Amino acid sequence: MSEHDHEHEHKPAPMVDEISDFEILEMAVRELAIEKGLFSAEDHRIWTEYVHTLGPTPAARLVAKAWLDPAYKKLAVTDGVEASKAVGVDWINSPPTKFGTPSDYCNLRVLEDTPTLKHVVVCTLCSCYPRPILGQSPEWYRTPNYRRRLVRWPRQVLAEFGLQLPPEVQIRVADSNQKTRYIVLPVRPSGTEGWTEDQLTEIVTRDCLIGVAVPKPGVTSNAKRPVHKAVHPVQHGHGH
Amino acid sequence: MAISERSGFGSGNTESPAEVAPIPLLEEVRNHGRVWEDLAAQYGVTNPDPPWKVTMDATCDILAASSNVLPHEQVVPGSCALPLLERRTEEDDLSATLYADVPFPERTLLALAHSMIRHGLINEQELARQIEKVGHRLKDA
Repeated sequence: MSEHDHEHEHKPAPMVDEISDFEILEMAVRELAIEKGLFSAEDHRIWTEYVHTLGPTPAARLVAKAWLDPAYKKLAVTDGVEASKAVGVDWINSPPTKFGTPSDYCNLRVLEDTPTLKHVVVCTLCSCYPRPILGQSPEWYRTPNYRRRLVRWPRQVLAEFGLQLPPEVQIRVADSNQKTRYIVLPVRPSGTEGWTEDQLTEIVTRDCLIGVAVPKPGVTSNAKRPVHKAVHPVQHGHGH
Repeated sequence: MAISERSGFGSGNTESPAEVAPIPLLEEVRNHGRVWEDLAAQYGVTNPDPPWKVTMDATCDILAASSNVLPHEQVVPGSCALPLLERRTEEDDLSATLYADVPFPERTLLALAHSMIRHGLINEQELARQIEKVGHRLKDA
């Protein structure tokens, strides 16, 4: 290896060399909660490690597998929890459960799109999301603006995301809750004939899995989404 | 599956968003703290989230305990420190009012601390002391 190569290999990634007051606040809140016995440091460490492992790749792979294997696709749409095991997600046993939280276990449903039916996922109540298989929800998914407007004007909201659907395509909005969460199984796009599972997985982005985008060859990342504030913030009722 | 045509949120919260009172200690953090999007831009970091987001998420999860997965009406009062739906509802209200100009995820962090104080899980004085302690530890290292 030349000296030049060596230098490149060890070039440190840029990092933030500054402690922000928000970082201090996060740590202070956590440490105080531990000091007051709200949870233990060990429990927090276990949960943090779990959250660290989460991301959208397992769900993307589930879709790719379903595109390639009709039998697996049938399993996915009939038993999402069972189908998740093939992509390394065990909804029942994976999450940490030793400190009173019965886990993120819930009923995962895989919603199959067709050329005339498009699914899109929301949680009108808060921000329920299939985290074990899709990771943490994006900011826009959590906003009242998206949650409230999607169920009323799905076609317009999808158009704002850049997804213009022809009138003959029916839109079905799935409202998540604590027990039942959803991912979308989009239609496999043309131009992907002969692709491998890995290639297909790459184009199934988080937004495709929520349903606000459709997979396209060459597109492997989510578009930057503007976050709209609610124009008329509403009071929330807990008995919703 | 619950299919579209839902009518949005109900009402009945006792405190309207406009009545959310600021907490001086958190206002200090909000006014003086540098948010991740600025820090990331300054230092050329591409990670969209600050490193502390994952630990904050874990804190929310632990405080919510079984309310993470139980329908709200089945959550037994007192069974968890800070029920998921209450925290998220308060976060929505605070995000629309007090912390409307704070970006995500700093906004969520402020809302979490706000809710913990509001629910009596911690108080402002002890949080101020802890912030000072942590600040010394991190900045004097």
